[in-house]
Amino acid sequence: MAARQSINLWQLTRGQRLRYAGAIFAMGMTNLFIFGPVLVSGSAIDVIADQDLSHAVPPLLWAASRLSEGAPFAAYLWVAAVVAVTMTAIGGAFLFARGRFAAVASEAIVRNLRERLYDRLHDLEAGFFDTADTGDLVQRASSDVETLRVFLASDVVEIGRAIMLIMCVAPILAWLDVRLAALSLCLMPLLAIGAYLFFARVKDVFQITDESEAAMTATLQENLTGIRVVRAFARQAFEIEKFGARNAEFRNNNRRLIQLMGIYWSTSDLFAMTQIGIVLIAGGLFVLDGSITVGTLFEFMTMVSMVIWPVRQLGRVLTDTGKAVVSLGRINEVLTEAEERAGTIPGEGRARGEIRIENLTFGYDPQRPVLEDVNLHVEVGETLAIVGPPGSGKSSLIRVLLRMYPYQKGSVRIDGWEVAELDRLWLRHQIGVVLQDPFLYSRSIRANLALGRPGAPENELIEACHDAAVHDAIIGFPEGFEAMVGERGVTLSGGQRQRMALARALLKDPPILVLDDSLSAVDTGTERRILDAMRRRKGRQTTLIIAHRLSSVMHADRILVLQEGRVVQLGNHATLAGEPGPYRTLCEIQGALDASIEADTNATGRGNG
Amino acid sequence: MDNYDDENFDDGFDDEALAARVDLKLWRKLFAYARRYPKDLVWLAVCAFTTASMEVTYPLITKWVVDDVDAAYAAGTVISLWPHALAYLACTVTICIAIGGFIWMGGKIRTHVSHDIRRDGFENLQRLSFAFYDYRPVGWLMARMTSDCERLSNILAWGFLDLVWGSTMMLGIAVAMLVMNPKLALVVLAILPLLGWVSARFQRRILSSARRVRATNSRITASFNEAIMGVLTSKAFVREQANLDEFRELTNTMHGASVLNLSQAAVYVPIVITLASLATGLALAIGGLDLLGGAIAIGTLVAFMAYTRHFFDPIEQLGHWFAEMQMAQASAERILSLIETDPAVKDSPDVIEALQRQADAPPRRNYAPDGGAANIRQIELRNVAFAYDPAKPVLKDINLTINRGETVAVVGPTGGGKSTLVNVICRFYEPTAGQVLIDGVDYRNRSLHWLQANLGMVLQNAHVFSGSIMENIRYGRLDASDEEVREAARLAGADEFVRALEKGYDTEAGEGGNRLSAGQKQLVSFARAILADPQILVMDEATSSVDTHTEQRIQRGMANVLAGRIAIVIAHRLSTIRNADRIIVVEEGRITESGTHAELMGRRGHYFELYKRQGLQESSATLSDLEPRPA
Repeated sequence: MAARQSINLWQLTRGQRLRYAGAIFAMGMTNLFIFGPVLVSGSAIDVIADQDLSHAVPPLLWAASRLSEGAPFAAYLWVAAVVAVTMTAIGGAFLFARGRFAAVASEAIVRNLRERLYDRLHDLEAGFFDTADTGDLVQRASSDVETLRVFLASDVVEIGRAIMLIMCVAPILAWLDVRLAALSLCLMPLLAIGAYLFFARVKDVFQITDESEAAMTATLQENLTGIRVVRAFARQAFEIEKFGARNAEFRNNNRRLIQLMGIYWSTSDLFAMTQIGIVLIAGGLFVLDGSITVGTLFEFMTMVSMVIWPVRQLGRVLTDTGKAVVSLGRINEVLTEAEERAGTIPGEGRARGEIRIENLTFGYDPQRPVLEDVNLHVEVGETLAIVGPPGSGKSSLIRVLLRMYPYQKGSVRIDGWEVAELDRLWLRHQIGVVLQDPFLYSRSIRANLALGRPGAPENELIEACHDAAVHDAIIGFPEGFEAMVGERGVTLSGGQRQRMALARALLKDPPILVLDDSLSAVDTGTERRILDAMRRRKGRQTTLIIAHRLSSVMHADRILVLQEGRVVQLGNHATLAGEPGPYRTLCEIQGALDASIEADTNATGRGNG
Repeated sequence: MDNYDDENFDDGFDDEALAARVDLKLWRKLFAYARRYPKDLVWLAVCAFTTASMEVTYPLITKWVVDDVDAAYAAGTVISLWPHALAYLACTVTICIAIGGFIWMGGKIRTHVSHDIRRDGFENLQRLSFAFYDYRPVGWLMARMTSDCERLSNILAWGFLDLVWGSTMMLGIAVAMLVMNPKLALVVLAILPLLGWVSARFQRRILSSARRVRATNSRITASFNEAIMGVLTSKAFVREQANLDEFRELTNTMHGASVLNLSQAAVYVPIVITLASLATGLALAIGGLDLLGGAIAIGTLVAFMAYTRHFFDPIEQLGHWFAEMQMAQASAERILSLIETDPAVKDSPDVIEALQRQADAPPRRNYAPDGGAANIRQIELRNVAFAYDPAKPVLKDINLTINRGETVAVVGPTGGGKSTLVNVICRFYEPTAGQVLIDGVDYRNRSLHWLQANLGMVLQNAHVFSGSIMENIRYGRLDASDEEVREAARLAGADEFVRALEKGYDTEAGEGGNRLSAGQKQLVSFARAILADPQILVMDEATSSVDTHTEQRIQRGMANVLAGRIAIVIAHRLSTIRNADRIIVVEEGRITESGTHAELMGRRGHYFELYKRQGLQESSATLSDLEPRPA
């Protein structure tokens, strides 16, 4: 039962780090090229305002002087404008590169994560699914993965962007003017920390809102799935009131959340605008005393307003990081679950189908055995029927045979090989199972049948369908074998599903065939046809039939009666019907009923029934 | 778990075709939901307008500061910046209040609109006939009532906000620029159409590829769902690798679609930035020349450049909302169809009038709210036919009279029309020809609610709600006391198992009753119907969900339960059939035989054959009933 290591956010990025590095590099270049135009414009304003070429950026001045001898200022302006636009365009190209790198990286990580989860779900022990909640598992695979995806695709880059902006802008500003730089950045830490604290505090409100939405959705779903009951009891008014309460509660919570966000946005805007205001007024004073130029003030104003909004986002993004960590934790819980143990393959080819069980004791919870000291030998080609009340251990026996669960004591052997040591895939290739409530995939009927043996020849497919008495039903669908199963196609009755699953197992043609109460929804006439077909196939495989109806089991070679996990009777119909015990009691009830029907038919039918 | 997804279900609304244009009539109809809050809507507009105005004012303050400082510096004088600082502060406080205000108002409108749409949808869903439900999966209805509502209310509130804000801001900036320098303003404005075109085009593509991502995503979720539900089958058939290979194809599609979507967004932003910088560059060059020539002051140039940077923000937003409106067109159509569909089965105008008359008059004993007799003595079906699709009639020429105190067992093959017959009697569907008469009056002339309030039903797939078992049974009669609930449970044979549960009647049934077995759910729903004390009791028996022991107990109570009512049972069990006063055989939409068990057996007809063939004789006792007996 190998458990795997959990992964953290850093390990998650393995294989994509180069792309992330590329994204971060591109982002740096973007910043460089997007701030460039600001500096270029600022210097151009100074050049023009002061009519002084000493403010000019040297390469631009050189270009301007080459272009035009007569009007240096005008030429400088045009050069500055063209350079600004060009730099922005190049910065834009880097911006695209950044987005593209981040997209490819995050999507690749998420694809990998999805596939790992999917693969994992197939490797887990069957016992895991007994206690697991399907909805919760699907949620981990969908919304938790989505949370991570958003985090990897945009939040990682957002955090990087805010940090890079600060790292690029702070030195530039300090280089321009240290005092004003300090004033320009003074409120920013407050803004980021305040945002973080705010989002940490309103987490509860988010949760309450989510919960009230879930409650509203659940009420709605219940009403819609039970609409026939609602109508049958004319409870519309009651339902409208009930839903109305949930609907209003969600509205109020959601509204409160938005209003809190309103407080956040307006307060943080107050901070941000004040920060810009400080720059404007302080900068104005510095211009007045001649320590900076108007162009520099322009540069400060522009850069601060470029940096401040991503910084404001930083707080929110940091809270999202918390969410991503929680989601990854939930995904890790699935990834680190114990998986099925590997085993040995006894050799190529098909098993004979001999089953020998000795002193088997098994419980899902080892303290509470559901099978106790079971001994059983099934010959190759034999048909064994297993009967017993619910909870007597019939299905558990099958699950142990399939190695879905490990057993605590005794031994279960197929062709002399201990099941616990066998390779599970090899083992399951040898056994064809039909469950009471069989699962069909939402694909075509043909695809579902072919599950048994992909690429089986058409005549065998049809033969299996005939034997399972489902051929006529399939032919009856407008699309026949190509009809889709499920919501987008044909709806199958319980009996049709069971027969379809039987055909699937017959097509597999395994050495061991197991029917786990799989004819319960089939009417008696059809059941007889299926049992006749099974008799014709006799000898092709060892067959175990779990059933409730006498008619299903009486023709088996031997019948095993289980009660409370123990074998209480074992023998053929004639023997068991002849000795006192549960089997005979059943025959008597059934016999009495048959006699009454017989009498009924005869009494009214005047002798020719 | 519900596996429905919109993207892969064809409901007759074509997203692509509907997104081709914006149908204003449709949006006006929806906007009526927002207009129910006129005061908030006005305040929202005021706040949005104020915010935009302040945003237009900021560059003017900057210009003011720069011009004054520049002039003072040139003249060598010292001036105070207090007026400027105070103006800036006032502007900032105003804009922050306005921002808080529009979020506050927008939040109210947004949440109330989605609440109101949902409420109207829900109320209509309670009226709509079963025929409406027959063609729409629960998931389809859920998607309308949840995500569509949220999406549309977002457009109505925030889209409206951005429309006011964006147009004010663009208009304000345009005016400010035109006043400061018309030539420069026209140069900047020339970029506008190009940017608008690019925005609309790109947003549409981005949203369209986003939908492909969603479609693939719901297939991935469905795939996970299938993997979990079918894990035993997959293991038993050693499908692990094949499943994973198929899943990989899906994740590949997803990867491609997502990267495309993100890349489109990554192309869009740089294009907008570059186009905007073109405007800034032109402003710099042309404005600089004017500055050089002394035509404008330096502050004007600085303000101009700030304007050009902000001028294009609203375009991006408005482009987004326009595209979103296009894409949400199908959602809007769908939800309006849900709200506006008229129920096929409803009270006639005459009945509505009668109901109103009676509501004003003092209540009279033995009279129903619609003025008719309260007691139902007889139901008669006269030449009743029914068809969902005129080409395929389900019921043909049904004639049947059932009197109070009579129990009629309906038997026949699956798909023969048994359930439809019952649904027509209960007026879940109305006959397409012929009449159903209650004591001689066509039931279309009686109140629908009154009839159905006198109905008790036990359905084959018994539906149990979440909540305690007590609450579930009480659903039959909301004002029943605990003792009455227990009595009904005793009659239904449910009392024993309920008391054996950990918390007895307070035990939670779980979502959809999933903590109860199929048989237990049937018993609870039977008790619910008994508690309702209906004049008409309809039961659809299940074949195998209840064990023999319990069935015998039910049979003992059954005689009491059915006495004095009109009882219709879709019967499978021999004992029920034998005890019925009359058996009708429904085959291919017709009543082919009618009579008592003995009569029909004697006739050697359909019933006799069915009895032999269809497994009606199926033993009620099965091997699983063999409970261990003390030795």
